[in-house]
Amino acid sequence: MPLFGGHARDTVLLRLVVSRLLFIIPAGLLLITFLFALFHIIPGDPALLLAGDNAPAHIVEAIREAYGFNKPLPVQYMTYMLNVLQGDLGVSNFSRDPVVSLIIPRILNTALLAFWAMMFAMVVSLSFGCVSAMYWNTGVDKAITVVSLIGICTPIFVSGLLGIFFFSVKLGVLPTGGFNSWQSLILPVITLGAVEAALLTRMVRSTMINALNQDYITTARAKGVAELVVVFKHALRNALLPIITLFGLGFGNTLGGSVVIETIFTWPGLGRLMIESILTRDLPVTQGALLFFAMTFIVVNLIVDVLYAYVDPRISYD
Amino acid sequence: MSASSILRMGLVGALMSAFAVPALAADPEPQYGGEMIYAITAETFSLFPGRQNGSQAQDTWLYALEGLVEITEENEIIPWLAKSWSFSDDGLKATFKLQEGVKFHDGTPFNAEAVAFVFNEALAKDFTYSNLLEGLQKVTVDDEFTATFHFEEPFAALLPNLAYRPMSIFSPTAYKEHGEEWMATNLVGTGPFIFEELVRGEYVQFRKNPDYWQEGKPYLDSVKIIIVPDVSARSAMLEAGEVDRTTSLNDFDVPRLTDDPNINLRVVNSTRQFYVVLNHTRYPFGNVNVRKAFNYAIDKEGIVASVFAGTGAVLSQAPTLSPGVVGFTDLRAEGEKTIFPYNIEKAKKLLKNAGFQDRDGNGVVEDPRGNELSIGLFGRKGATKGDDKVAELLQSMLGDIGVKVEIQFMENSAFGAAVKLSPEDAQYDMALLSWGIPTADADEPMMLMMYTPAWKPNGANRSFYSSEEVDRLTVLAHHEVDPVKRNEYIRLWMDELMTDAPVIFLPTLAFNLGTRSYLHGDRILSIDQYPARFAWIDKQEKEKQGINR
Repeated sequence: MPLFGGHARDTVLLRLVVSRLLFIIPAGLLLITFLFALFHIIPGDPALLLAGDNAPAHIVEAIREAYGFNKPLPVQYMTYMLNVLQGDLGVSNFSRDPVVSLIIPRILNTALLAFWAMMFAMVVSLSFGCVSAMYWNTGVDKAITVVSLIGICTPIFVSGLLGIFFFSVKLGVLPTGGFNSWQSLILPVITLGAVEAALLTRMVRSTMINALNQDYITTARAKGVAELVVVFKHALRNALLPIITLFGLGFGNTLGGSVVIETIFTWPGLGRLMIESILTRDLPVTQGALLFFAMTFIVVNLIVDVLYAYVDPRISYD
Repeated sequence: MSASSILRMGLVGALMSAFAVPALAADPEPQYGGEMIYAITAETFSLFPGRQNGSQAQDTWLYALEGLVEITEENEIIPWLAKSWSFSDDGLKATFKLQEGVKFHDGTPFNAEAVAFVFNEALAKDFTYSNLLEGLQKVTVDDEFTATFHFEEPFAALLPNLAYRPMSIFSPTAYKEHGEEWMATNLVGTGPFIFEELVRGEYVQFRKNPDYWQEGKPYLDSVKIIIVPDVSARSAMLEAGEVDRTTSLNDFDVPRLTDDPNINLRVVNSTRQFYVVLNHTRYPFGNVNVRKAFNYAIDKEGIVASVFAGTGAVLSQAPTLSPGVVGFTDLRAEGEKTIFPYNIEKAKKLLKNAGFQDRDGNGVVEDPRGNELSIGLFGRKGATKGDDKVAELLQSMLGDIGVKVEIQFMENSAFGAAVKLSPEDAQYDMALLSWGIPTADADEPMMLMMYTPAWKPNGANRSFYSSEEVDRLTVLAHHEVDPVKRNEYIRLWMDELMTDAPVIFLPTLAFNLGTRSYLHGDRILSIDQYPARFAWIDKQEKEKQGINR
């Protein structure tokens, strides 16, 4: 049975999906080349960081020799690229762990966090945004607006630390951090999702207000359709396109905000690994982490585009 | 007070002390069992001591790796894997008798061959600590449990340097079989705990070594070291009881945590002194009056109070060396709390002697030709606690004597790259750094910090300071094995530093350690290490506090 309203459309969309997924390869290689060049231009020497502030030059040289940092740049680049094409992302400059084994568990953790935070944000923003739009300019709307603004203005680390202090230290009902059980998910997800939820609520609200002011809504009401059906079946369906765009962008925001959350909640995620690797000039780990982040973005964008086509039969990708 | 009431009080007091004394006399007996969870700040480190020397790494290795000797809280060197030692008459040979019946975690025996291998390999492969073995030619095996170190010239600081954690003895069999890279993710030593697992960035897991060579130890079943980068999160975990101990708590939290009955908070003065590198190749730091003026212009007590909450740092009593470091003498002037005590008038007078005065009344001093004195300061944030705030205070304090200071904050790696350059390439006027002495012996800073051959990029003399007298005293102390004579040389060395004021000397850091009160037997050393190998947990007390792990 055709998914998107026609076999021809299905084929077009399939071609879209495949071409986007294939695009990941050249995008990834470009990204790696760019990072390699960048890391060798900016100041900072991983061997020096290993040897410590006060090490004499010959000790630093010895580390470079032992870890292969002193090979000529083109040689290092070619070796790395050849390895990547075979699926070997190298080892960390510092810990000598294979990059892939460092990244895989963490990317799953970050993805889990981002996913649930977005779920939370989407549910909250859709419900509160629609309610806000339905009761536009009344007390309910104003209350929701105030709460959203507070959510937007509160920095993540403030709400995160307050949450830890209140729920973990004072009440002792939730863990302070780490990832040991499903309870560990609650505080980080809500903290991360709350910011996004606040932002998205405002946007859903204005999109829905626009949608509810359209002529076809007046027609539907005149026909005697129940208000809830009007809002959720007619108005929302048409407001979905911009809302999906916002959710896609929101996911990007969430992945970025996860770095702070990962630090506060000691969440074993990719964001924190990436920041640490940049600060310690650990090029292989940075390249691996950024590669995965880039791939995630491409995939999310792809899902958003496919959802467009599903939601709106008028959209064509020919 | 009436005589009878005094008598009554005296009787009550006597009775109370009679009951109190027995309780105080008996120290609690160690209990076996349990797991200790210890939270440390994040640092990317490897488990191989030959290529790294960060303090977090050392604090982790010590559960599984041991050295020939150990350093105590009083900075004394005690025998450990080496039972005893003796020096030849010419001071060129140091012979160590080793503990017998010790095995590495992979079952291979610990013996003189293992010791010789580790140190000879360190020399051959230029391990990171090889510069602390200056003049070591080789280590030979005399018999199964006797090894001799051969030196070109007598080496006074051999023992404190051997206590340096990276010089621990790892299993040569494992090293030869698997190579250096494998050792970066595996610890194979002789220690009381066996390395089990490392999950990068999350935790390191150790379990008890049932065959440990010291009878009856260790007490804990296992140790888990978790990495928690955020200081507030560490504090929250300690207060909630999710971890048993943690370090590097916020100085401003110290009073609150000290009041918590479930938490035992210790603060120890370290060997880490803040200092400002003054680039002597740049105008006007060639002039000793300017350097001294800068020293007198800094309100060190103000720094301790505002940046370190009064408890996170202490006033320095001598240049570079702190109490407990071998060779330290208190060099403060009579009745003063620190060296170069804060004195704005004196600072301004010294500047005037150097020709700098505020001739046009704009608050900034000028030289005789009317050029304003404006100086750059390289700083960084977060490498050492308080480093950015201290830099800002320096700017304002030097501003008070009419010197315009511009701070350039850099990210850690960029800063490191900027301050490792030779005198021709170095771009800094001043740079704020700290110097910690990992061996608690004066030899390390003497050889690396103020010595002319240690000018960057060779050692760590970033000021490009050069004094014949300082160099002479450094070499004498390096080779002098008589401790009395050696201390005299070190004292003269410090006197030279007071006369020359090559850098700005700032307060010394104090490190803190917070533990749940049911944890006993762990220690905190001034060299930024926190051994808890022989710690034990009071199970009843732990249950009473509601911790069920």
